[in-house]
Amino acid sequence: MKSWHRYAITLVGGLAVGLGAAWALTDSGLRDGAVENGPWSTSLGYGTKATDPITRAVVARAGLLALPAKETVYWSAQTDAAGATLDGNCRYRLSGAPLDARWWSVTIYDEAGYLVANPAKLWSVNGANVVLDTKGEWRVTIAPTKPAGGAWLPGTKGQPFHLTLRMYNPGKAFRADPQKAALPQIVKEGC
Amino acid sequence: MRSWLGPLAFGLIVAAATAYAAISAIPYGLMSVAMERLGQGGVNRMSYANLATAAYQPVVRPSPDLAYSSCSYDLSEGPISIDVTPVEGRYSSLSIFDAATDVIFVRNDVEAGGKPFRIVVARAGQTVPKGAEIVRTNHDYGIALIRLLLKDPAEIGALDTVRRQSSCRPVTNPK
Repeated sequence: MKSWHRYAITLVGGLAVGLGAAWALTDSGLRDGAVENGPWSTSLGYGTKATDPITRAVVARAGLLALPAKETVYWSAQTDAAGATLDGNCRYRLSGAPLDARWWSVTIYDEAGYLVANPAKLWSVNGANVVLDTKGEWRVTIAPTKPAGGAWLPGTKGQPFHLTLRMYNPGKAFRADPQKAALPQIVKEGC
Repeated sequence: MRSWLGPLAFGLIVAAATAYAAISAIPYGLMSVAMERLGQGGVNRMSYANLATAAYQPVVRPSPDLAYSSCSYDLSEGPISIDVTPVEGRYSSLSIFDAATDVIFVRNDVEAGGKPFRIVVARAGQTVPKGAEIVRTNHDYGIALIRLLLKDPAEIGALDTVRRQSSCRPVTNPK
């Protein structure tokens, strides 16, 4: 094999490895500034002036046009309380106390982060439209079919789903320790 | 095997340089796509989007509860001014993102005292109107995004007129 053939091969290989590495390195939202709380995770790097190119690229991929944490905190859940992937075939109870924020919402997306068509055209619940029970808690059923009563978010059969919890203008107590805040529970009830 | 040492070392250098270049380019690439999708009404003009649904979601992870208005801007021919009119009793915010995806400005309705305000976005060295609130940026391109929280999705039609009081336009007379 001629020398330049070897160089040509490693040039092409180097380009491919470099591009693959760039995509893999910027894929994870878990970098400095990542916070985890049960199945929910967020990054304090959203909506900031990034300090290094990798963080900027990670945040751009995970939260393009997201607001900074002082304005809005975005939590993402891909698994339930037991750690199992959120499954559109199953029924879940999403519940909690009202959150420490001017306004909050939970929105259901597919794995790529997009809204999935459903006949009810329902994709979110929020602090202004949930009903509190006698214990001061709200509760939503996530399931492919509408439950007999109560609030409902449609899951889609045959595919996983993700949840995003948005907290607009979160309170001081929350911002002081987001890791310990009481966030909504996601409990699988059956499949 | 020795004949491969040089090429492999070369390949590693190529991989590292490529990775660095790609990582640096990713934010600009993503912003460029977002600018195109959110600037359907034209550059340096505010577009007033309908609520996101499964059929309409130009950017990943849209909130179906927020009415978004967006201005894809280009400062190569001069500064732009963004006028924001808050809607009484509802959360709204203006956020400005430069071409590198960095946030260069955020203000919500409470911080604005519930009153209209104007922001001029300009490159260093561009002449700006006296007395205006200026945000300087190192990039020509970017996106200004207004989020408005509706009390009910159905009210978006009724709020159309007041939404259109928020605008984005080139600064024509910087005096």
